[in-house]
Amino acid sequence: MSRRWTLGRGRRLSLARHSPLRMADPRVKLAIGLCVSLAVMLPVERLIAFMVIFLIFLCWARLLDAIVGQIWRLKWVIVVLFLVDWWAVGLDLAITVTLRLVLLAGALTLFFATTTSAELRMALEWLRIPYRYTFSLSLALQSVGMLDDEWRAIKEAQRSRGAWSSPSGWRRTMGQMRNLVALTVPTVVMTARRAWSVTEAAYARGFNSPNRRSYHQLNMHRLDWFLLAGTVVIGMLLLLWR
Amino acid sequence: MTDIVRADKVAFHYLQDGRGLEPTSLSIQPGEAVLITGVSGCGKSTLARCITGIIPHLYRGNLQGVVWLDGMQTTDTPLWQLTERAGLLFQNPTAQMLAPSVEEEIIFGLENQGLSSATIQKRLEGTLDRFSLQALRDRSPQMLSTGEQQKLALAAVTAREPSVLVLDEPLSMLDSTAVIDLITYLKQVIHSGTTVVICEHRREYLDLIPDLQTIQLDSHVPSGTTIPEINIPKSTISDFRLEVSDLGVQLGGRTVLQSLNFSLSSGQVIAVVGRNGVGKTTLLRTLAGLQEHQGSIMLNGKVGRPDLGMVFQNPDLQLFNATVGEEVLYRLPNPDMIYFDWLLEALELTRYVETPPLLLSEGEKKRVTLASVLIRQPRHGILLDEPALGQDGGHKAMLIRLLRALAASGMLIIMATHDLTLAAQADHLVLLGPDGIAADGPTSEILRSDSPWRRLGLELPGWVRTPE
Repeated sequence: MSRRWTLGRGRRLSLARHSPLRMADPRVKLAIGLCVSLAVMLPVERLIAFMVIFLIFLCWARLLDAIVGQIWRLKWVIVVLFLVDWWAVGLDLAITVTLRLVLLAGALTLFFATTTSAELRMALEWLRIPYRYTFSLSLALQSVGMLDDEWRAIKEAQRSRGAWSSPSGWRRTMGQMRNLVALTVPTVVMTARRAWSVTEAAYARGFNSPNRRSYHQLNMHRLDWFLLAGTVVIGMLLLLWR
Repeated sequence: MTDIVRADKVAFHYLQDGRGLEPTSLSIQPGEAVLITGVSGCGKSTLARCITGIIPHLYRGNLQGVVWLDGMQTTDTPLWQLTERAGLLFQNPTAQMLAPSVEEEIIFGLENQGLSSATIQKRLEGTLDRFSLQALRDRSPQMLSTGEQQKLALAAVTAREPSVLVLDEPLSMLDSTAVIDLITYLKQVIHSGTTVVICEHRREYLDLIPDLQTIQLDSHVPSGTTIPEINIPKSTISDFRLEVSDLGVQLGGRTVLQSLNFSLSSGQVIAVVGRNGVGKTTLLRTLAGLQEHQGSIMLNGKVGRPDLGMVFQNPDLQLFNATVGEEVLYRLPNPDMIYFDWLLEALELTRYVETPPLLLSEGEKKRVTLASVLIRQPRHGILLDEPALGQDGGHKAMLIRLLRALAASGMLIIMATHDLTLAAQADHLVLLGPDGIAADGPTSEILRSDSPWRRLGLELPGWVRTPE
């Protein structure tokens, strides 16, 4: 039995449910992401032209807000990189590198804001990547959203037992080192423990069975074919445009 | 009749710390419901893993004896084949969620059985109906309450239709209503002919399951000896009153606590009780000064934050040193070593003073975090989030004796718990509901009144009201 693929929300990044790309086939979205990533090789004026096309596409996909939000989170990395490139080489390179970084961040957000970890797993399985690796990757992506909560909880827990300090002066560095240990050890332990618990739970439900059969099937629909054709055309143009 | 589970002198010791299960023999007939019980650390979870084949397939250690599951010897049979016969439900429901949605959680195990899509569809719908999960099918399991997660875990395991269902401390993280819900579903599973093996030290609720056979595991682990006599350092502050007015907390745009008003006196043990997810932990975090809030917290009529140490629900958040001794004494310039020795003895940790805390059992780790908070002698008291987790009856009794001794020294002890046996022994009970405090007063009074419990959807079993 095949049916349209629908999934619940993941915790790592809120899904853009309103986007028409949300229901697109994950393989097509992988192709779009690959095409956008290829565009970073273009020289600056063509890169700008491509970015205009990408921007129009994002407006259609109703993903502009999500992508601007993600890029805003990277603002300091982008600013520092821009200034270092400008100082070390020149303005042209600084602009090119910045645009490439923005484009790559956009491509990644486009994919992960519209695709769940399970859909990614199915797309990778279609690419003949073994199930044990695709399953591990999807679990890892699901866990990303929990890390932030975990760090905050550990910091609070250590503070409440007096194992966290905010020293000043020459003691500052030593204090920060101790804080780092108090934060890192529980983080590593909890991450390892969670990974082990999930592994145990998965094996207890027959994870390593050689008989596994996938319930869901990926199906291409009209929108998917249209998007794929557009991606192929733009990809070809990018390759031929010299 | 052939045994569906048979263990002959099975023993297992983990490589890391040498703990595990002492030689145990048992035989279970098809369709039986069996409770395996014993004190914390006696090897109940290890036995559950041995029965289902998780040991020796996933754990390294020293295994002796033999286990047969439905006629198959667990050491010689691939794990996936054993899991077709026996399903295992783990203690921590959150840690066993591995799919992005409720329906995917159920489908995961069915796909691994190699079933056709039509069969999977049929079993999925049947399971969602039987466990009342239809409305949640697209939700992320991580977003569900602990009770819902445990129900989903049970649904995911039973959807595979195993002949034997093994449950490892399934009740420890659930509130009383979720426990009774789970037992209702378990009764259905037993009624359908599945053999059920429950490894649990909380026996109270399990009496609701008819014809439950009990197997008691022996242990060399001591449980809840008497607290040694000592003069606990008297709180450096005289009697005080903590008054909370119009307390409200918003988390991520969601109102978690609203309009809470109560006042508490020093020298008391207070229990905060409510359904899973009602905001008990948030209340403790707020009192500890870790959470921004609306309203005021006053000490003796003046605005001020009380000095309250907090013991978190998950001990792994607070442990990072190389030994228990170092953990408890961390960053203390002039520790009171007499108090330190007393604390370790009172919490039965003396023999672990040189042991890495992360190698201890969950219950022992919780006691280490309690010691590491108490050694700092917080001026006004301590806050404990689910202190009964991982503690057997003996250790719970020991814990309440210790808390009473601390309260007698002038401290204010506030614990958030869904363990009603523990809560019933507090001096004062606060019943927390989604709209605020449903009842607040002396424990005996609150336990006599039915209506606030009913209003919150909390079950109040008779044995809590009339303890033996």
